[in-house]
Amino acid sequence: MTNSPRPLPHPSHWSAGYWQAAAERRFVVQECGDCDRPIMYPKRVCPYCLGERLNWRASAGKGEIYAVTTQLAGPPTGFADRLPYVLAVIRLDEGVQLMSNIVGDSALEARIGDRVSVDFEPAGDMVLPVFRLEKTGVSQ
Amino acid sequence: MQKARAAAVGIGEVPSGRFPERSEIEAAILACRQAILDAGMSPRDIDVVMPVGALASRHFNVDLVFSRLCEELGMLRSARMNVQVMSGGATSASMLALAEGLVASGLARNVLCVHSDAVGSLPKQAGIDLFSTTGVSEEWEAPYGHNMNAVGALASNRYMHETGTTDEEMAALCVSLRKWAELNPHAMFRTPLTIEEVLASKMVATPLRAKHCNMLADGAAAFIVARAEDASHITANPVYVRGHGSLVTHYTTSQDTDLARLGYEQAAAQAYEKAGIGPKDIQIAELYDAYPVFAMIALDGLKLCRGERAGAFVAAGETAPGGSMPMTTNGGMLSQGHTAVGGGIAVLVEAFRQLMGKAGARQVPNLVNAVETASGGTWMDSHVTILSKEH
Ligand SMILES: [Zn+2]
Repeated sequence: MTNSPRPLPHPSHWSAGYWQAAAERRFVVQECGDCDRPIMYPKRVCPYCLGERLNWRASAGKGEIYAVTTQLAGPPTGFADRLPYVLAVIRLDEGVQLMSNIVGDSALEARIGDRVSVDFEPAGDMVLPVFRLEKTGVSQ
Repeated sequence: MQKARAAAVGIGEVPSGRFPERSEIEAAILACRQAILDAGMSPRDIDVVMPVGALASRHFNVDLVFSRLCEELGMLRSARMNVQVMSGGATSASMLALAEGLVASGLARNVLCVHSDAVGSLPKQAGIDLFSTTGVSEEWEAPYGHNMNAVGALASNRYMHETGTTDEEMAALCVSLRKWAELNPHAMFRTPLTIEEVLASKMVATPLRAKHCNMLADGAAAFIVARAEDASHITANPVYVRGHGSLVTHYTTSQDTDLARLGYEQAAAQAYEKAGIGPKDIQIAELYDAYPVFAMIALDGLKLCRGERAGAFVAAGETAPGGSMPMTTNGGMLSQGHTAVGGGIAVLVEAFRQLMGKAGARQVPNLVNAVETASGGTWMDSHVTILSKEH
């Protein structure tokens, strides 16, 4: 299992812009050209007004941790050699949420409410947005 | 308040665990046979068969879709429809609601609902990977290593943060379930468990340890739903469906904006109102678990803890045998075993069994009303069903 590749995203034509931006080390959030609302995850139509005029808005990629866990055992195929790894639900300052990994030296200390900012991690032929704690070395 | 329109009139179940020599179709046939005999029916009294979606074997699931059970159980040229129902772990509640609608509208007379699966006999990594794709987005969450234990872990993290629930209280819920399972001959795990043993087990995904996590199991269960006006003529112990409430709160875990509550408060309010039955009228709670946090969230949302926090209520022994609110008396997925969708079906069948007075050593006395909960995928929805001996 250790050598199995981790699963990678297979972008749809409407999400390709998100992954293309990540490949260029830019973080973007989809927004609706009709009702101006931010949308996560990228959608084919706006889930608020069903509009089809969807654009990409540059995002600072900052927010806070809503929920977090450190995976220590029993991972899915492709993650055995990444243990321990930190999974978090992040609430961006735009108000939308997404899942990502918390990476960096202090990742195992991540707690609810901690401020995080986006970074980028190559995975196969893709680049995944990941997050780092903004302040390192915070004691318990 | 609505008058009951449907009732459960027969139940069947085979033991949960690892039974590599027992095929899914054999387990399904035996569970259906028991349910039909329990209702005092003949197979030809069944006009609609509802098999639940099975996950371990596509071939078996195709057999379920294409009426194999009608052929195996002598329903050819009498059954009118065989239709698969599938909303993951929520299927107990959703199929009961659909069966209720069919009998209430006259589209069906007697509906046979059945689940069988053999996820316990899958190789361990295949089981982990299967449940890393049930409600886990392939594009947005799987690439980060999301999986079913992580769903339980993230919800536990948020719930404990918001409510102050402790590790000991979470462990106490596992112990409560095990005490019930000790009395259940169909349960996978029947040896006594202590809070210390839970807290000493290996950390899997913080704050979840190995004994906070369910174990996949093979199993099957069935029940028959009839029109309320027929029920008392069919059996001496019908269980009436009094009210159902539900709410979908996400597909992907990350899109739930209230992981510490999910949709249980809204679902419970709907169900209580429809039933004309409130928390004070409930004597037994058959709550979907899989991880301790989800039974805690349901206890809170259902307002069954007399104003206390669910964690404190459970730690005081109120949900265990002898407590004031017996909860998930088959041992739940944490002790009876997680048979995929069947984990929830087993909890619903246990609610029927208790209200029918057929629960043997774990029978809770003097029952009138029960509440059952269910949820599918990564707890994408919250279902609450009120059941009663009275219509
Ligand atoms: Zn819009």
